[in-house]
Amino acid sequence: MNLEEITLKINGAVRSAPMPSAIRLVDALRRLGYTGTKEGCGEGECGACTVLLDGRPVNSCLLFAKQVQGKEIVTVEGVGRGHPDGMHPFQKALVAAGGVQCGFCTPGVVVTGAHLCDTRPQASVQEIKEALAGNLCRCTGYAKIVEAVQVAVAELGKQS
Amino acid sequence: MGETLRNIGTRARRVDALEKVTGRARYVDDLELVGMLHLKALTSAHAHAELLSIDTRAAESMPGVFAVVTGKDVPGENQIGVQIADQPLLASGKVRQMSDRIALVAADTAEHAEAAVRAIKVEYRPLPVITHTDEALAPGAVKIHENGNVMTKKQVIRGDVEQGFAAAAAIVEDVYEVNYQEHAYLEPNGCIAIPEPDGGVTIHASAQAPFYIQKAVARVLGVDYARVRVIQATTGGGFGGKEDYPSEPSACAAVLAMRTGRPVKFVYDRAQDLAWSTKRHRMKVTNKIGADGEGRITAAQVRIDCDAGGYTGLSAIVSERSNSTAFGPYRTPTARVDTYVVYTNNLFGGAYRGFGTPQTTFAMEAQMDELAARLGLSPAEIRRRNILGPGDETTTCQKLTESVPGIETFEAALARSGYEQKRREFEAFNQTSRWLKKGIGIGACMYGGGLHAGGQFLEGSGALVHLRPDGSVLVSIGGTELGQGAFTVAAQCAAETLGVALEHVRVTPSSTDFVTDSGPTVASRTTVMSGNAVIDAARQLKGRILEAACELYGVPADEIELREGQVLKRDGTRLGSLKELANTAFAVKKVNLSAQGWYAPPRKTWDNARGNGDAYSSYCFAMQVAEVEVDLRSGRTRVVRVTAAHDVGQVINRTLIEGQIEGGVVQGVGYALMEDLKLDQGRCLNPSFTDYLIPTTLDVPEVDIVLIEQPHSAGPFGAKGIGEPSLIPAAAAVANAVSEAVGYRFRRLPLTPERVLMSLEEAGKLR
Repeated sequence: MNLEEITLKINGAVRSAPMPSAIRLVDALRRLGYTGTKEGCGEGECGACTVLLDGRPVNSCLLFAKQVQGKEIVTVEGVGRGHPDGMHPFQKALVAAGGVQCGFCTPGVVVTGAHLCDTRPQASVQEIKEALAGNLCRCTGYAKIVEAVQVAVAELGKQS
Repeated sequence: MGETLRNIGTRARRVDALEKVTGRARYVDDLELVGMLHLKALTSAHAHAELLSIDTRAAESMPGVFAVVTGKDVPGENQIGVQIADQPLLASGKVRQMSDRIALVAADTAEHAEAAVRAIKVEYRPLPVITHTDEALAPGAVKIHENGNVMTKKQVIRGDVEQGFAAAAAIVEDVYEVNYQEHAYLEPNGCIAIPEPDGGVTIHASAQAPFYIQKAVARVLGVDYARVRVIQATTGGGFGGKEDYPSEPSACAAVLAMRTGRPVKFVYDRAQDLAWSTKRHRMKVTNKIGADGEGRITAAQVRIDCDAGGYTGLSAIVSERSNSTAFGPYRTPTARVDTYVVYTNNLFGGAYRGFGTPQTTFAMEAQMDELAARLGLSPAEIRRRNILGPGDETTTCQKLTESVPGIETFEAALARSGYEQKRREFEAFNQTSRWLKKGIGIGACMYGGGLHAGGQFLEGSGALVHLRPDGSVLVSIGGTELGQGAFTVAAQCAAETLGVALEHVRVTPSSTDFVTDSGPTVASRTTVMSGNAVIDAARQLKGRILEAACELYGVPADEIELREGQVLKRDGTRLGSLKELANTAFAVKKVNLSAQGWYAPPRKTWDNARGNGDAYSSYCFAMQVAEVEVDLRSGRTRVVRVTAAHDVGQVINRTLIEGQIEGGVVQGVGYALMEDLKLDQGRCLNPSFTDYLIPTTLDVPEVDIVLIEQPHSAGPFGAKGIGEPSLIPAAAAVANAVSEAVGYRFRRLPLTPERVLMSLEEAGKLR
């Protein structure tokens, strides 16, 4: 197996390690200790591995780590940076609303949901659902996740 | 009592919420250990074949390979069958389903293990593949096991059903068939086995039933239970799929850990998980119901053919629930149930939320609608006339005595949904709407909480509670946290009983080392079982420290109250803090501040030959009304709203209960409309989330919840289970709504757009 130095910008820090050249982004992140990012299906259907790439949500199981060197990656561990207690209002809202059960889809939901709150605070319920349609959750039935987005958007509105 | 409950009936925050929203929660694949190996399995190329030879020589010398094992290398018994010893851990002589393991490889990386698996050569002699219970039962069918294809037969006999039918004014009889359902928990199966220096092994697993794993691992290794420790890792969903099944990967990892002396990780990818793990059973249900002119049931008869797959697993137990509660929440003065559990070469049937009852509920609820139509009654009215009440007997002749709000729950669902009015509105709408059709349907269920009388050897659950000298509390339960909120409920029970603030209660990951065998976390039993066990332990501790408090403060114990970390007199005067009291009790009085709690329900009596007796300790009712829109151009059904009325005894945590109901309803909607595993000669053709569709945010209805609280004396603070009743009636309600919308009775699930269009086309309904 060919190893090469892979260097990634993750949550504002530069991290690097020798890895197989064809390693997927999800595996590279996990090897570097960012185990919050989960693999649920490996084919871009479930969204558990969602991270932000230059500010856009992507499935990290569908990208090679090599492809994204130099780009800004944000994982669930970094979503709360710059917010009080290190938690994004959407994370807090998800806890309060009860939008967490087994938690395995949660990192992906957090990344998608926080990004939605930050970029489209005017989103309607239908638009919230569309934005989260790529994040499968088998536990909650989604109601409390959608509710959490609405609560967080309101909270962010108050802060600004 | 009479005291205000501070921690019960609240919306207390989940104890594991923060770690989960920050990504800190540690699932099994997040654990890395020095020297750890990765396990991969070779599974069968045929669903039914004789195994002629296995050649592992090439694989053994591949790079990074530490060990390759086959059936002959299992140190203990090469057997994993949880109820009947019919399933080898590693195939020997014959394969009976595609997921049968032929060989296992442990290597330094997953890639090396995978490459070695591909280098193993196997010779088979294919046998005819049995793909349906009808084929398995046909005369002259090839025998999957030596004793034939009927694994077991169960029955319920109540009165003379022929007499009952003779007295009927109307009889409906039909055959219903339902396909598999996949649990689709987001975290695939996974475990790590770590060899211990003393010859034992520690297993970290994503699992619902650590004690099952303990027994399975001890069996295949040939070691004492005491040498096998199973710790539940944070588990990414189970829904029954992680009841018995995780014993298989855990036993595999344990065998290789002992062989190599290294920690061994075995984590499935999605395709493996979908193809190998257990499923909700395919069933064929032949249901015949007779009623008098008023719509009162006089006779109920059903034959259930349950497709078990190649091995027994839990199928005999799952089908016992189908068998005992086949007629839902209705009075059946005479009844006959015949349940055949049948081997096939299809997928492995197992436990799934509802445990054999969503299938029979789909059939029964359709039959109730058919019977209503025959008698000119509304679907609501015929149910109202038959729902069991206090003092009535169930089909198994069990008298219902306490907390039996069947009719209250039913009427609540109807009133909240505006059922009768909507039904009229939709009928009028459909008269003028050519393509879009609206329908409303009812699904009703009565669910037995806890294990069936036949499974009570597993009943009983433990808890270990420590009061620390600083007044904090550590709880460990024999149940497990799957996402449903068991740890939060346990913490609430401890906080309430000990008068400690919830944030000072910690719940540790469940481990077989902490408590006595507590059975599995299934059957909607964990709030009741673990909750009561925690209360038992906490009460013991409370008694001990109140005795110490009595001496410390010079106040009689019965006048002292513990509340939110404070020690108070009944009149509210503060005596001190729990912290001070705990410390004094420990440091000065030498009080034992640890207690083992235990709860087991009273023994149930059961006559297996007649299927009569106390099937379950208590029952709860679940009544759901679904509103749908069916587009006749695409065949697509949209579920607009589900009104879910549930009898829960007493709410412990309102947010968690809502979460169970919202999630359960949506799984039921998926079962009704989209989840469709396709098989060819026993092979699963769509083992991926691309081809096996589960509901997304865009597929879910509004779920409107009504909770009926009629406490049950055996429940913690009066609570009953909710995990499964949330799902069971949903598919039946949706299917009834669709059938009503389009004026055609569907007798198969799921109602995919293709099935809806093709059925209507065939019936001439699309012209």
